[in-house]
Amino acid sequence: MVNNTAEILLIEDNMNDAELTIRAFRKGNIKNTLIHLKNGVEALEFLFGTGQFEGRDISKKPKVILLDLKMPKVDGLEVLTQIKANELTKAIPVVVLTSSNEHPDIKRAYSLGANSYIVKPVEFDEFSKVVTDLGFYWLLKNQAQV
Amino acid sequence: MEKGGKSLKLINANKELAFQNEEKEKRAAELVIANKELAFQNEEKEKRAAELVIANKELVFQSEEKEKRAAELVNANKELAFQNEEKGKRAAELGIANKALVFQNKEKKKRAVELSDSNKEVDELEKRVKERTEDLESFSYSVSHDLRAPLRAINGYAKMLDEDYSNVLDAEGKRFLVEVRNNANKMGVLIDDLLTFSRLGRKGITNAKVDMNKLFETVLSEISQNTAHHAEIKYSNLLPAVADRNLLQQVISNLLSNAIKYSSKKEKPEIDITSKYKNGMQVYAISDNGVGFDMHYVNKLFGVFQRLHSDEEFPGTGVGLAIVQRIIHKHNGNVWAEAKEGQGATFYFSLPAIDEKPVVSQSFNLTKSW
Repeated sequence: MVNNTAEILLIEDNMNDAELTIRAFRKGNIKNTLIHLKNGVEALEFLFGTGQFEGRDISKKPKVILLDLKMPKVDGLEVLTQIKANELTKAIPVVVLTSSNEHPDIKRAYSLGANSYIVKPVEFDEFSKVVTDLGFYWLLKNQAQV
Repeated sequence: MEKGGKSLKLINANKELAFQNEEKEKRAAELVIANKELAFQNEEKEKRAAELVIANKELVFQSEEKEKRAAELVNANKELAFQNEEKGKRAAELGIANKALVFQNKEKKKRAVELSDSNKEVDELEKRVKERTEDLESFSYSVSHDLRAPLRAINGYAKMLDEDYSNVLDAEGKRFLVEVRNNANKMGVLIDDLLTFSRLGRKGITNAKVDMNKLFETVLSEISQNTAHHAEIKYSNLLPAVADRNLLQQVISNLLSNAIKYSSKKEKPEIDITSKYKNGMQVYAISDNGVGFDMHYVNKLFGVFQRLHSDEEFPGTGVGLAIVQRIIHKHNGNVWAEAKEGQGATFYFSLPAIDEKPVVSQSFNLTKSW
């Protein structure tokens, strides 16, 4: 695991949502490498090469991070804060995933520097579409910047 | 000698007589003087008497005047005595009234204390309501997140089963999966509607002038994009409103969607939108020629989860009109409806009137229909 690299970093504690998201990417013909991390702690360790990712080449950055907001222990906003506070990671586009557009955290996420957000719809087809559209957009956009 | 004596005697007598005469003349002269004096005195006395008569008259007059004055004073005195008595009575009355006021004052003070106590209670209640509202808010966020996640999984896995295992599922098996997904979706819509409804409770309104013709146009094109319908929808010269534009858009969207939905089974669905001033309010009416409803159940129309039609007949969650009512009440307006079964329904909503004439700039294009 030490030198794991991925173009898409999915940070999601709900295994079902993660599976659906990954399937949506595949169905949408987005074949970029993807790593799924199950909570905020893992995410920070991966990004900054600490803990179980000690020694990982952290200059190999993901092209887009999909970040669930509601996670136990270190939640999405905390992860976002640390990503945007670090010179190394602050340029990586972060797409926030949330279950409801009602959530006050969305506003908070934007003020912390989130690049966009996805309300995870109940309807799977719709879900697939927004995930692939946004993933696609940020992968391409980031490609252009690099 | 007799004669001589006699004559002497006569002379003497004469002399005596002359003397007496002289004396008498002196006396007469004195008397004349005295008489003159008396006459003068008399005159003076008469003058004095006349003066006295005048003075007397004056005194009599003064006396009379004094008597009159005295009588007047007596009267005035009586009047004053009467007034005094009245004042005494009045003072007694005032004394009583004063006591009553003192009593009332005490009561008012008591009442003020009671009010302050009940005010404190109201404050306390408000605080509790606020806490409960905050609880409810965080509850609805949890509901939104936690209920939707499993629904997404149910829907997603059913879809995956359908996609990956279609070769081992027969038509009936596939239909079951469709039912599973439809119901998961329906529950998702329900959760969304409920959240919209509960959000309205805490959201403030931002009033601005709204061109209702434009707002209806916006809503109609939105509905027409998402829903296939063949209704003829007419509106013209609607009164502008002062309201929260987004909330009002929700109201119109819900009412128009309903009108389209409940008239969709007619051969020629027609929807008319009108507006007018009435009793200081401006009233908007949306009429359709659809299925209508039994006025017997009109009270149930605006309740949450209350429906007058089955889901098979006309799908819906039963939250739309509750949302409409809540928004209009927030604007100090009212909602009501009239209908006849099988002959269509009219839904009205009113907003406080603004003193302006309808926008007629669109007079060349008064009627829009889709």
